[in-house]
Amino acid sequence: MGPRLFLIVCFGGLAAAALLAVVVGVWLIAAALPDGGEAVRSMVIVYGGGIACLLVAVIAVLWGYLDHALAAPLAAVVRGIQTVVYANAEHRIEVDENHELGGLPTAVNDLVRKLSQARNTVEEAVATATRSLEQQKNQLAVILQDLSEGVIVCTLSHNILLYNRRALQLLHIGGDIGLDRSLFTFMTRQPILHCLGRLTNRVADGRHADHPEGLMAAFVGATSDGRHILDTRMSLILDPGGTASGYVLTFDDDTDELAALGLRDRLLREATEGLRAPVANLSAAAEILGGNPTMDVDQQGQFKQVILSESRFLANRLERLSAYYRDIITGHWPMSDIYSGNLFNHVSRRLKEQRDVATVMTGLPQWLHGDSYTLVELLNRLILKVGDLTGAASFDLEAVRGDRHVYIDVAWRGDGVPASALSLWLADRLDETLAGLSLREVLERHRTDIWSLDRDGVARLRLPLPHPKRSTHATDVQQLPPRPEFYDFELLARPGDLGELAHRPLRAITYVVFDTETTGLHPEGGDEIVALAGVRIVNGRILTGESFDRVVDPKRTIPRESTRFHGITAGTVKDKPPIQVVLPQFRAFVGDAVLVAHNADFDLKFLRLKEKECGVVFAMPVLDTLLLSAFLHDYTGRHGLDVVAERFGIEVHGRHTALGDALVAAGVFLRMIDVLEARGIRTLDEALVATSALVAARARLADV
Amino acid sequence: MAKSILVVEDEPNIVLSLQFLMKKAGFEVRVARDGVEALAAVEERAPDLMLLDVMIPKRDGYDVCQTVRANPDWQGIYIIMLTAKGREVDREKGIALGANDYVTKPFSTRDLTEKVKQLLGHNA
Repeated sequence: MGPRLFLIVCFGGLAAAALLAVVVGVWLIAAALPDGGEAVRSMVIVYGGGIACLLVAVIAVLWGYLDHALAAPLAAVVRGIQTVVYANAEHRIEVDENHELGGLPTAVNDLVRKLSQARNTVEEAVATATRSLEQQKNQLAVILQDLSEGVIVCTLSHNILLYNRRALQLLHIGGDIGLDRSLFTFMTRQPILHCLGRLTNRVADGRHADHPEGLMAAFVGATSDGRHILDTRMSLILDPGGTASGYVLTFDDDTDELAALGLRDRLLREATEGLRAPVANLSAAAEILGGNPTMDVDQQGQFKQVILSESRFLANRLERLSAYYRDIITGHWPMSDIYSGNLFNHVSRRLKEQRDVATVMTGLPQWLHGDSYTLVELLNRLILKVGDLTGAASFDLEAVRGDRHVYIDVAWRGDGVPASALSLWLADRLDETLAGLSLREVLERHRTDIWSLDRDGVARLRLPLPHPKRSTHATDVQQLPPRPEFYDFELLARPGDLGELAHRPLRAITYVVFDTETTGLHPEGGDEIVALAGVRIVNGRILTGESFDRVVDPKRTIPRESTRFHGITAGTVKDKPPIQVVLPQFRAFVGDAVLVAHNADFDLKFLRLKEKECGVVFAMPVLDTLLLSAFLHDYTGRHGLDVVAERFGIEVHGRHTALGDALVAAGVFLRMIDVLEARGIRTLDEALVATSALVAARARLADV
Repeated sequence: MAKSILVVEDEPNIVLSLQFLMKKAGFEVRVARDGVEALAAVEERAPDLMLLDVMIPKRDGYDVCQTVRANPDWQGIYIIMLTAKGREVDREKGIALGANDYVTKPFSTRDLTEKVKQLLGHNA
């Protein structure tokens, strides 16, 4: 009910009630009058009618005033507000001047004005933002259009968000790509998934921060029909929370370049290999003719014929080479630095998917330079073929750093592969996805070759690959002082009975090489473990694939001074398990193995202090690479892990992470076994005797 | 008795020179034109030294080298690989597969003769 109708009803009721009262009053008076008072009765009726009329008139006037001064303006205010809300934000409420609403219309108008101002401000801001966004988008579009490379931006589910003209050309697409279409309509899936997997792993492990290529990796891509090879780079897009939300692909047509490369390779081959033979023939014949003047005429004729024919051949060849040379454009094969551990992970996973072939990663992971996807394909296929040929079902994968190359060794128990078979396999082609490259071509692109060797019942395929382009992988480690040496005679005291372990050759023992990162140097003073890692050595092989690596919540603050060493902060340990959870896990990982650590007493002290609390015991024998170093190289006092690693020629990766240090110590320890054997120390017992003698000596020294 | 040399080469022009050089140095020389012929010649009578080109028809030089090394009776045969492939990796592969030396073409005839004499203990 509106205010006006309400007033009408109220005042109408009031008027009716007044009339009724008058009529009833008149009737009662008239009835009470004695007979014969006709004149008085008439008067009463007339006065009653007058009073009734007056009452109704007063009520009507009152209603009229209230309707005009209150109800009508109120309705106008309501209509006005409705207009502001639903139609025109600029509308102002209009009310007749003679109203009794007091400040209401003005207050409402003020409110409306404020609202409209606020609305304008927001709209302006939105408009400005939209304008600048539009501007940025246009700028980006212009920049993208001007790029000579194709650019495509995709979501993690591979839907296309943005692309440039050049991308259309390179992908050989006639019309438009159409936003939100799947990238795989246009580009080959496998290499992209492979590269994305590499990058997301890199981010998940937090390695991108230190990685020389950061969030980027180069790979060999191709159009979906496999006809055009694309020199592609992928960069991951991270949202502010640090998780990947999409990626950018930039690419260049590589088929032209590859064609050019093919031409250049042919040119180079002809210029080097092709010329070597004729030059050899020529110079040999000339040398012989010159050095043997007494040669008979017949023979002389033969050599002269050689010189003549080879010279003609060389002249022709030179003409052809010059012709090629004019057509040449230099190109390159996209490659990036790859960590062998990641490469092997991909190989293992593919092998497991395809067939029940087991792989064991051994040795210290190395950096190398190559194209990850084609290398994975190459290794994968060759391993399957070796399996078919020899029946081997388990393979060791190891990267070995040499002076000129980093070697990828695939080893198995059994016979090697004849060179003839290997050379036949290399004619196999990769899927159509990569323009039908043959395995041989993959090798050629990496400027390398592969061969098979067998020795002592172990056969291997050896693939030399280039060293990483950036040497920063190893050297970006901050130079930090080594931990102070730590000796506690009791800790290293030999367990009473080693049993048959005592006389087992060092090489035949299973070890777990481990390292801890801690909040400080004083376990009794409340310092705690923040990271614990170990790696297993079995039969002289470091089983890289089977490592233990945990961050531990120390349940206390982590001093900044210690973070400098291990990079672990309160944020890193958030939601990580406490030592009471991790130590029993580590104990289970160690099993029956002998423990090895660099400066073992330090780490051991932390472990042993927690034994009771965690319900575990570390009673196994422990070897200390620091003490072994001191024993082997007693001419020097420098036995920090960095120095010792350098002395043994161990490449250092990821130093000052628990796993990194454990791996380095493992590498050092394996080399030490060789040297120890040369010094006549062959069994565990002998090694323990040698080091505990040193501990005793050093402890005495410390006492003095 | 003169030491014997098996020249495995498919290019007649270099065969002529190699044959002449080796004969002049006092060795007995046989020639094989491809990998199969080479292995047959070794089978017939093991030479003291092989001058083995890598790029030969039928079975390549790496294959021949590996096959020779796989036979315990032929461990004593010296193998010098001759090749137009000059990459470090090729040399490494040759040595890994059992070659005693690896000579890249073109080569000096005198150096080659010296190498052969040294291996066969003809230090003149």
